[in-house]
Amino acid sequence: MRIFNVLGILFYAGVLILIGIGLIVFSLNILPPEDISNLLNFLQSNLNPRIIVGLAGLLLILISFSFAQLILGRFQIEKTIAFTTPSGEVTISLSAIEDLIKHFVVIIPEIKELKPDVIATRKGNILVNLRVVLRSEANLPELTARLQEITKSKIQEVLGVEEQIIIRIHISKIISREERKKKEEKNQEPAIPFGGYGRV
Amino acid sequence: MDREESHTDLGTIKIHKNVVASIAAIAAGEIEGVKSIGKDFRSGILELLGKKVLCYIKVVIDKNGDVWVEIPLIIKYGYNIPDVADKVQENVRNALEKMTNLNIKDININVQGIEKGDKE
Repeated sequence: MRIFNVLGILFYAGVLILIGIGLIVFSLNILPPEDISNLLNFLQSNLNPRIIVGLAGLLLILISFSFAQLILGRFQIEKTIAFTTPSGEVTISLSAIEDLIKHFVVIIPEIKELKPDVIATRKGNILVNLRVVLRSEANLPELTARLQEITKSKIQEVLGVEEQIIIRIHISKIISREERKKKEEKNQEPAIPFGGYGRV
Repeated sequence: MDREESHTDLGTIKIHKNVVASIAAIAAGEIEGVKSIGKDFRSGILELLGKKVLCYIKVVIDKNGDVWVEIPLIIKYGYNIPDVADKVQENVRNALEKMTNLNIKDININVQGIEKGDKE
């Protein structure tokens, strides 16, 4: 971890601890309200303390803004796969690969739901985690092997990447036929007798 | 630098970077497989604040007049991404060179998502 990130985390932790201490002091009535009022009056009455407080506030805003930008920028860089062409650079967002997986997986009828999570590892590999909800009639070893094969070949075909693609499948739920029937029955609302009577 | 200036006998011609972005957007949209132009983080915030963002393409013009373009793209499902990106880069470069005479350095493509298009 870089030293700037450590400093940033320490800064935020420090600010939160100070807020926490302040709230505890307030709740335990350790600091009389008169002292707080005197301190605020002193800060308000003179120009120098006001300037110092204002500059401190500005500095805090700048620190938080730059830190947030750094983190967001870092995340943005990490969450892409990049390659260069003669005309420039092409970056592919990992969420685009997740969209791709969601689209092609509809061809497997045994899969009810699928949540993909794509990670580009530091070694240059692509790690795909799939959380799947299956229908009960599915043959698990055959289905998971097929899903891994389809996912791998489709990513290679569409992205044209040479990197090693590792696909991990986690079956989070298997829906039985009875469960599905119950859900379908729930969805079918009973018709109200004479419900449409009198409507134009 | 917001615009590129060129001098002629009659005066100066200024091309704003929004013009470059618009040309790039049209050229990118002409390529089969491109669903739409994506959004970047800054444009998203500006839109939330109610500011109308005309184009999400980032254009940088340096002091020497060299141009860098960054295009966020949403690509249609079923198309090969590197192929589409390559075609977009080529078409955008041709369009910009033809229409503006600018020196195009890099055209960077950022594929942000995949959506269902005509080709299924």
